[in-house]
Amino acid sequence: METTEVKVTNTRSIVNVASRTKQNKFKSALTIGLFVAPALIVYSIYVIYPILTTLMYSFYDWDGMGAGVFIGLQNYIDLFKDAIFWKALTNNTWVVLTSVFVQIPLGLIMALMLFAPIKGIRFFSSIYFFPFLMSTVAIGMLWVLMFDPINGMINQFINLFGFENVAWLSQTNTALFAVLLVIVWQFAPFYMILFKAAIVGIPEDLYEAAEIDGANPLTKFFRITLPLLMPTIVSSSILAIVGSLKAFDIFYIMTGGGPNHGTELLGTYMFKQAFINFNMGYASAIAFVMFIVALFVTIIIQVMDYYRKKRGAYV
Amino acid sequence: MKRLLTILTILSVILLAACGLNGGGSTSESSSGKAEDSKSNEGKKVLEFWHIDPGEKEKIYEEAVARFEEKHPDVDVKVLRIPNDAFKQKLSVAMSGNEAPDVFSNWGGGWLKNFVDQGKVLELTESTDKAHFNELALANTTFDDKVYGLPLGLSIDVVFYNKEIFEKYGLTPPKTYDEWLSVIDTLKDNNIIPIALANQTKWPGAYLFMNFASRIAGPELFDSAFNRKGRGFDDPAYVQAGEYLQEMVEREAFNPGFNGVPYDEGQGRQLLYSGQAAMMDMTISFVNNVRQEAPEFEEKLDFFLFPTVEGGKGDQTQVGAATGPVWSVAKNSKYPDLATELAIELTSAETAQNYMDRTGSLSGIKDVKPADEFTKRFYEVVQGATHLQMPYDQTLPPELAELHKDTTQAIYGLDMTPEEAAEKMEAKAKEVLE
Repeated sequence: METTEVKVTNTRSIVNVASRTKQNKFKSALTIGLFVAPALIVYSIYVIYPILTTLMYSFYDWDGMGAGVFIGLQNYIDLFKDAIFWKALTNNTWVVLTSVFVQIPLGLIMALMLFAPIKGIRFFSSIYFFPFLMSTVAIGMLWVLMFDPINGMINQFINLFGFENVAWLSQTNTALFAVLLVIVWQFAPFYMILFKAAIVGIPEDLYEAAEIDGANPLTKFFRITLPLLMPTIVSSSILAIVGSLKAFDIFYIMTGGGPNHGTELLGTYMFKQAFINFNMGYASAIAFVMFIVALFVTIIIQVMDYYRKKRGAYV
Repeated sequence: MKRLLTILTILSVILLAACGLNGGGSTSESSSGKAEDSKSNEGKKVLEFWHIDPGEKEKIYEEAVARFEEKHPDVDVKVLRIPNDAFKQKLSVAMSGNEAPDVFSNWGGGWLKNFVDQGKVLELTESTDKAHFNELALANTTFDDKVYGLPLGLSIDVVFYNKEIFEKYGLTPPKTYDEWLSVIDTLKDNNIIPIALANQTKWPGAYLFMNFASRIAGPELFDSAFNRKGRGFDDPAYVQAGEYLQEMVEREAFNPGFNGVPYDEGQGRQLLYSGQAAMMDMTISFVNNVRQEAPEFEEKLDFFLFPTVEGGKGDQTQVGAATGPVWSVAKNSKYPDLATELAIELTSAETAQNYMDRTGSLSGIKDVKPADEFTKRFYEVVQGATHLQMPYDQTLPPELAELHKDTTQAIYGLDMTPEEAAEKMEAKAKEVLE
């Protein structure tokens, strides 16, 4: 390889400068292309190609096996008329809101507590992190038992305060709340770890300077810690939002989307259409809408972040 | 742009390195794995066999598999048990990916027919000895006179109850709906949950709905609605069945929160074992659960047939029934003949006799009579039955079946009126069945 390159340069030395830069450009493009190729190929096969085939399937009435019938946009027309789809989208929105406005602040508070001068805090840091280490299936089954309408721990706990038993997972109006609680419990530690790492990275002298200027802890938090955590908060939000839009497992295990579609998500509804009702075309339409929503939301966040950086705020 | 290119380049290099490492690692691993394989099972043919039953049933299948392996020393059968509700999904996924197991358990009816229509199931007509099976059971796995499954099990659904509790409060098994309601009230007054129901997975509650519909309008109703011969799923009888369910819910006949309690995990059965609840409408596979989970409960266990309703056309000789397990062979099996033979061994007279005697179940094999006390009584019910009603969700096409379960669960949850549910069912039935 090297020897040929030397030869190439040798021959090229006679050629004029303009074509030389052209060739150089071509060469570097080729090099880059070669380096990019493996990733690009893998990415195309496993990401771009499935997205395109999903889009294609969504135009068919297809049961997943055999040949489908092309029906144009009919799946999308049906989908936008489908009350369950809108219910699922609303529920997904609730998951997103909980993740961003409950999970992340809670993670931040937990991370801050780890830096507070409390005895035995290292022990708590491990305890806080446990939920995130457990597998989702185990968590789901555990909480189904805890939410048991008669013998469940949660009900026995609220009995102590004189409340009646609540059938948490059995009523459309409490089931979503109950599962969201579990999601917060499971994922808040993840954000705690992210924030903990970010807080460690804040230079100590900033706080010292603030102290000399007589700042109280609250001012220190709002003027130093929070602004410097902003990039972490933004990336956490993206993770939380995209994760919530794709949410499936814990809902599937705890409620299966029921009762009466009370906890149906786009993910569980897509699964039901694909593998229970065998409406692969319809399920593909749901999947594609999920993709569009996630893409759209991510673009909005990226654009907002771009302008935030452009303003030079905080970073 | 430049930065993007740099990033992409770096990423691709990392990926390439990762690929190289992984690729190298896995090839060396797999080759050593293969070497070991060939040492231990020297060119054995592997059959995969999936079923759903725990406990004694599983042992019986394993014994049948052992007999089969003895006859075919060159075959290795991999047995995999997957719990009921997960199984349906796992098999669907495997089927659509053309990776179905050679022999798999199912329930006949619409669910199997769906796979048959997609050309995924091997036809067994020629290898089946039709005289060996109970006609009603085999009919449930036969489509257009072609047999696609061999029914080992036949089950009926009855209302189980706790004898001890009934004796304590001077109750007798109810014959009519009104008697049933007074039993429910008595139990309720004594702080006992009248009926245990675990309805998160929706099918347990559907039994009551189907039984009510059959008692109100006779078993012809479903056949007429399903075959689109005059009556529909919005028939007044279906609305009335829904009203009966809601009446029971409003009387607090069931454990609180039943719509969120999953069946497989056993919290619903636990209510019965512990004496917190007194009755449960369930298939006779419940006896197998009792023997495995709470053997001491068996002596308190008894059952009655679903009560009649006033002015209803149905009577107690019409029984809700289901075939299962049914063994079917996947079309993509590498060894279809061996797989068929395994399915036949799994329905042999010996297997069926064990199945009946040891699990308290009925079998779809004709000339096998039970020795077990409980099973004898179930057997008599079947012998005296004038009609066996297969569950709707196993007869209807999947989409309609799912809707039937969804709407029934919503009726129980008082989230939907019986009229609304019936309308939805009929609208979907028009779309799917006509």
